[in-house]
Amino acid sequence: MAADVSTGAEGRPARAGRPARAWRAWKSGRPTRRPAPVGHARERGDRRLGYALVAPVIILLLAITAYPLIYNVWNAFHFDNLSYGNLPHNFVGWKNFTAMFDSPQWVSALQRTLIFTVVTIVFDMVVGLALALMMHRQFHGRGFLRAAILVPWAMPTVVSAMLWKTMFDPSSGFVDYILAAFHPAWGSLAWVNANEWRAWAAVFIADSWKNIPFVAILLLAGLQVIPNDVYEAARMDGASWWQSFRRVTLPMLKPAISVALIFRTLQALLVFDVIYIMTGGGPGNSTETLSYLSYNTFIINTDFGLGGAMSIILVLLALAVSFVYVRAFRPDTA
Amino acid sequence: MSSKRPVRWRAAAAGVAAAALATGAAACSSGSSSSAVSASATQTIVFAESGLGTEGQQTQVAINAFEKANPNIKVSIQVLSSDSTTYLSQLEHDFISGSSTPDVFESDVTYPAKFAQAGWVLPLTQFNPDTSQFFSHEVAAGTYNGTLYAVPWFDNPEGLFYRTDLIKTPPTSPAQVVSDAEAAMKADPSLKEGLAFEADKYEGAITAFLTVDSAFGGTLDPSNVNTPGNVGALSWLHDAIYVNKIAPQAVTGWQEGQVEEQFVSGYTPFAIDYPFVEAQPMAASVKGHVGYIPFPAGAGGTPGSALGGEMLAINAKTAHAAAAYKLIQYLTSAPVETARAIAVGDPPSLPSAYTSALYNAAPYFQAVKTLNTYSAPRPVTPNYLTVSSDLQTLFSSVYATPSTGAAAAALAAGASSIKSAAAATPGS
Repeated sequence: MAADVSTGAEGRPARAGRPARAWRAWKSGRPTRRPAPVGHARERGDRRLGYALVAPVIILLLAITAYPLIYNVWNAFHFDNLSYGNLPHNFVGWKNFTAMFDSPQWVSALQRTLIFTVVTIVFDMVVGLALALMMHRQFHGRGFLRAAILVPWAMPTVVSAMLWKTMFDPSSGFVDYILAAFHPAWGSLAWVNANEWRAWAAVFIADSWKNIPFVAILLLAGLQVIPNDVYEAARMDGASWWQSFRRVTLPMLKPAISVALIFRTLQALLVFDVIYIMTGGGPGNSTETLSYLSYNTFIINTDFGLGGAMSIILVLLALAVSFVYVRAFRPDTA
Repeated sequence: MSSKRPVRWRAAAAGVAAAALATGAAACSSGSSSSAVSASATQTIVFAESGLGTEGQQTQVAINAFEKANPNIKVSIQVLSSDSTTYLSQLEHDFISGSSTPDVFESDVTYPAKFAQAGWVLPLTQFNPDTSQFFSHEVAAGTYNGTLYAVPWFDNPEGLFYRTDLIKTPPTSPAQVVSDAEAAMKADPSLKEGLAFEADKYEGAITAFLTVDSAFGGTLDPSNVNTPGNVGALSWLHDAIYVNKIAPQAVTGWQEGQVEEQFVSGYTPFAIDYPFVEAQPMAASVKGHVGYIPFPAGAGGTPGSALGGEMLAINAKTAHAAAAYKLIQYLTSAPVETARAIAVGDPPSLPSAYTSALYNAAPYFQAVKTLNTYSAPRPVTPNYLTVSSDLQTLFSSVYATPSTGAAAAALAAGASSIKSAAAATPGS
């Protein structure tokens, strides 16, 4: 409000309840909101109460988010490794970061993570959109299908990864059992940690099985808010199914697609649990992603300096991706 | 801006800082160690362990008996995670914060060196422990730089299970394991493979390797893993998958649970696994036909077994060291260890605890005792987890490479990084 920022007689900013504000309100013919002194006191009281109410949450957030974040940044610029607990935690400048960038293991993990992210996002979005379009149609048993599709997403990743690891086991899983029907030799294919490509295939399938329903439900919600009139108008103009999909559905689905993309990209960039459970980063270290390497550096090697540097880069990467998406999908570009 | 605004912010900041300091102070308050309390004083000690279910119950039974025998000492049990990595993290949090509790705790055989190097555990030499009464290999796992830091609690040796109905006389060499497995597979079509072992990328891959290693004259010394013995052992396991084909490629995804499942279901005549297999429900064809031996030695080797198990150690910051050691002495006494073995199957760390009563209850403990005389500890280094992680990656890459010579090439290529991972100073 203008009255709040105008300067009072003493050269200080006028505040709610000051005579200047009341005068202007009287002059303009508008009544003041509250009687000045009472309103001021109540507002201050309300504000205090507000601060008091949010204080526990703020303190908790500072303790569990801000403090570890700042401490992690501190770690990234220091030597801090529990394996050498008797050595001083000296400042090492950018050493942890240069060690990370020079490490072939980290560079390979970065490449794998980016490739996995791109492949999984494209696949999940295409299949998720197809499922959403299917669920959007009127047909008998639609409610059951929608519920059934949601089941994998409702399952914790650790559980689904364990399930898929068993499913891919040649002696107790169903995958090889089905494949044996096509070729006898495929009945004893080892997937997890036996071959790099098969290990990735197993991880990819387990990850997509879990996450495609999430994309499908988000896109279905987006489809449901597109007014039917637009489709009818397109139909009257003689638009084919494909034209109406390209010119109506996709543009109007843009907000839902952007949300699904941001969520899935960040999840894929930070992928950890499915790999931890299924392959442990193997065979060798061929399914190690950035998050897995970060875990290994932090928890197994207890190198909080290098691990801190790794997690900072991972967070910056995630922020950069979010920024690009937010820019690309701004409403004014829709 | 209002003139009072900065004041309010300062007040808020001060409030938050005060809260943070208060929290920090509270967190650190347990860090101060008070002066030593004698064993005869009335006191309560905290004992951290990972035991759940029957193992936890058995510990409670032993603690109750200890408290009855020592009325001045109360023991408060702190149950930590049953997941070993989380368990270690929980202990580390306590130690880093300088907490004086837990006073006494259970430790995996691979942890004492790490704790000792960081100064988190009490050297036990002051109590003059009689280490000669324990199996020597587990004592070695609790000894760092010549000082004992942890006392063996139970000693879980990994070895070779075989089907006595299919393999009439136990094999006496690695080559005979292969030929016996091949013969058994030929004779019994219900067998799915000739050998099951842990080749997933996890800690069990190290112990499975160690079980075989000494049979080829190998030792797992991180300062040089590229030795003929280690190459021989890793090549034998690799060739079991790709050359002799007695083990399926599926072993690359198997941990001890899957290996046990293969053996007790009657799918394999040989399995490398831990004694717990003996206590599992077995298929009719397997029941009563189980042999358990150290892995048979080849030329220049000794019979092989890998050491698993748990130890007991004392927090360096405790004020109750004397009472804590008294508890350790009690839990590691022969009658208590025998009772634990009968109740929950934890193999005693004392040869004297292998009594006729134990053999009557579970005859397989005779084999376990023999295995315990051979069981080789994993490398005793403060950086064992890093060394283990590197070894797991190395083994996993070998098991995923069909070409012969994969083991020799991987050990030659990985030796220097494993050596530096185990080094006492970073980067050396």
